[in-house]
Amino acid sequence: MAANGRAPAGFWRETGQLVTAVGRAMGITFRNLFRKPVTVHYPDVKRPYPDRFRGILALAYEKDTGEEACIGCRLCEYVCPPQVIKVEMLKGEKRNYAKKFTLELYACEFCELCVQVCPTDAIIMMKSFDLATADRRELLLDKDRLHAIGLEFEPSWATGNKLRDMQAPPKPAREARGEGKGAAKGEAKEPSE
Amino acid sequence: MPETQARQVVEIGYGGNERLMMNMGPQHPSSHGVFRMILTLEGETVVAVDAVIGYLHRCHEKLGETLTYVQYPSIASKTDYVSAMTAELAYVSAVEQIAKVEVPRRAQYLRVIVAELQRIASHCLWLGTWCLDMGGALGGGATVFLYCIREREMVLDRFEELTGARLLYGFHQTGGTRYDIPSGWDKKVRETVDFIERRLDEYEAMLEDNAFFRVRTQGVGVISREVAESVGVSGPLIRGSGVGYDVRRAEPYSSYGDFDFVVPVETAGDCYARYRVRMVEFRQSIRIIRQALDGLPEGPISSRPGVKSVAQVRVPKGEGYTRVEGARGEIGCYIVSDGGPKPYRLKWRGASFSNLAVLPHIVPGHKVADVVAIMGSVDPVFGEVDR
Amino acid sequence: MTLTPVLWHAIEAFIVLNVLLVLVAYVTLLERKFAARMQSRIGPYYVGRPHGWLQPVADAVKLMMKEDIVPTASDRAVYNLAPIVFLVPCLLIFATIPFAPQLGVADLNIGVLFFLAVSSLEIVGLFMGGWGSNNKYALLSAMRAVNQIISYDLPFIFAALVPVVLAGSMQMSAIVVAQQGLWFVAYPVIGQLAFIAFLVATLAAENRVPFDILEAESELVAGFRVEYSGMKFALIQLGEYAHMLGTSFLGALLFLGGWLGPGPEWLGPLWLLLKAIVIFLIVTWVRWSFVRIRVDQILAISWKLLLPSTLMLLLATGLVVAMRGASGG
Repeated sequence: MAANGRAPAGFWRETGQLVTAVGRAMGITFRNLFRKPVTVHYPDVKRPYPDRFRGILALAYEKDTGEEACIGCRLCEYVCPPQVIKVEMLKGEKRNYAKKFTLELYACEFCELCVQVCPTDAIIMMKSFDLATADRRELLLDKDRLHAIGLEFEPSWATGNKLRDMQAPPKPAREARGEGKGAAKGEAKEPSE
Repeated sequence: MPETQARQVVEIGYGGNERLMMNMGPQHPSSHGVFRMILTLEGETVVAVDAVIGYLHRCHEKLGETLTYVQYPSIASKTDYVSAMTAELAYVSAVEQIAKVEVPRRAQYLRVIVAELQRIASHCLWLGTWCLDMGGALGGGATVFLYCIREREMVLDRFEELTGARLLYGFHQTGGTRYDIPSGWDKKVRETVDFIERRLDEYEAMLEDNAFFRVRTQGVGVISREVAESVGVSGPLIRGSGVGYDVRRAEPYSSYGDFDFVVPVETAGDCYARYRVRMVEFRQSIRIIRQALDGLPEGPISSRPGVKSVAQVRVPKGEGYTRVEGARGEIGCYIVSDGGPKPYRLKWRGASFSNLAVLPHIVPGHKVADVVAIMGSVDPVFGEVDR
Repeated sequence: MTLTPVLWHAIEAFIVLNVLLVLVAYVTLLERKFAARMQSRIGPYYVGRPHGWLQPVADAVKLMMKEDIVPTASDRAVYNLAPIVFLVPCLLIFATIPFAPQLGVADLNIGVLFFLAVSSLEIVGLFMGGWGSNNKYALLSAMRAVNQIISYDLPFIFAALVPVVLAGSMQMSAIVVAQQGLWFVAYPVIGQLAFIAFLVATLAAENRVPFDILEAESELVAGFRVEYSGMKFALIQLGEYAHMLGTSFLGALLFLGGWLGPGPEWLGPLWLLLKAIVIFLIVTWVRWSFVRIRVDQILAISWKLLLPSTLMLLLATGLVVAMRGASGG
């Protein structure tokens, strides 16, 4: 075979090289014939998702009181890069609530920034992405739907406080204060450095 | 059809036969994305190529002006979406340069580990799609493609355990990284890397001495050293043409100076040389990952508090330019800041954009089938080209 | 009631055609499963669990229900006739293949010549398809096809002539009978080289990787077939796989001993089928292991390597037969 830039190695030598190369390539394909296929038979079989899997978003309830955890502070709305979250706050006596909370899942990037900034661990991500529909309007999630999703699927590991604690450098004051749940309620700005 | 004065299409004289203008792309199985090449053919030989880009333009640079320093790293991964970690690293390093923020050592080592893992995944995709283009969707190319994807899936599984996402991560933030490694992750990464090293031997056995593969790639698409240096290509393209330039060696960033690795250089300049460069880079990335895992220091993963609000990072006035060695070449990010939470101007230097500029110099004179082989060895990703 | 020979042959032809069509459909399934296993995946699975037995039926029904899109600028008559002109020679070659000593549609005494001549006619259909589509990609592919198939028909013929010379007859059943002592592929050097040359020429004449530059999915996006959809596409696919199977049968008859094999007489056709499938699988195995080479390299291999070698081989075979004849008397 001509034109490979090297000095011709002689007919028999080249033929010998050709035969061994062909044999080696076909041998590897043959060996793969006997390996187990790597196919996962989704949806009959689902592979195990890791703990930190970023799936569909949901709203959670507080663990101790069972009330809605969202205080309507709108931090998630401000941080969302494609601006898919819209929140309206409802003021209450002891604490605030979210009057309306819509999330446009069809435009969501699943970047987890909203989970990261939430001070009360209200918005979380689930370990599932199985929400495919034929109608895009079903992916415009309102507050009730978000709470329902939170109860339907298994939640991921990440919540706002856990992510912030993982990222922040350890300070003695933080450990003395204990796990900082709800400590930054209502705070919208951080002093610049 | 080139209409404007500004676009001069380089044509070579060939046989004087009848010329045919054929359009390759933007919808084409082997244009690696949305890319249009207007080929002027004489028979089977290409005499001129006019490259048209812009089909994937998504206004990244304008987005950079409207999104804050906290929000944009998740978007930065979408420029070079196959090699997302290095793209985010470029942006975040530029911000850190202007703000003079120190990154803790553990974060630097983590950045190195994910960047090299990403390089392995990106090269797996490169090899798979290149062989797919050369061998056909129904044929030996598809076999190599599926083997490479099988290995790439393992790397993506490691990323999924680390960040939760498989392709676009949002892993970097100003001052460090956003996630720390889960328990048992370093052991799994070592197993993955060992497994891939063994499988690499299989790919090389399938392709290296294969006369069909050699005859398709040797002598094809030769970029001479002068052309490479004058056009400004980078990455495996320039290292395949004899210039040993690697940003990780030239301007070490993120503690690359601590690691011991070889920068492969080949002098032939053809597709086969670039293939050899990338295959050696596979193994060197594995070597770096092992060294980084062995020496991973304890400590914080970020020198700034955890992301709590959207305007958290404010950067003083100034400008900064950093470059990183992405899988495709030198990715640069230039930021001008005016003291607020968003950049005043963001400019990306896409590696593939400069790499594609070499096409009119090397394609004319080759056959149509070679165009496909050359495109594969240039390995463009159009997120970087069109931004 | 005795039937006239013409009617009898017509019934035979009808039966062979139907069996052939079903066989071709299932051979596509076999190729897909075999290729999938070589790539660490499963292949057709869901249609007719668990092994995708009904996949060919599903594909056939789908292709029949698809919209038949005809480009407005195409050359209507040429475009519409091309699949038929392509398909008919590919099915006609089965007329001369004997499945058992007396079982076959027409066991001509110029059987091999008829087979080789008719199978070369498919190129007319191919070129008609490429030209009539009025599409630059299709035209490029058709021109490459004419180049390639014509170049490889010659080594194909010479490689197929080696068993003819060894057996002394062009009638296929006579060739098989002549292999009762030793299969032709087992003849020292000549047999193996001729078989390898036959396989390589088959790969090229069938447009199989590494010689499938003319359909090159990643460059020419299906080549001359690119403008066909629905039933016309189905006819072209059928023709391709029928031709593939036909040359596999030819290889089994010429080199691997045809219907000869241990066991009772009536197992003969089964042995033939098995040997043809083995050749088909070898071709498939090669197809899924290599990248393709450029058209000028393909032509270089044919004219500079394969043609002189097969010519030499044929001369050597003739010499061997002459010496055997002279010594044996």
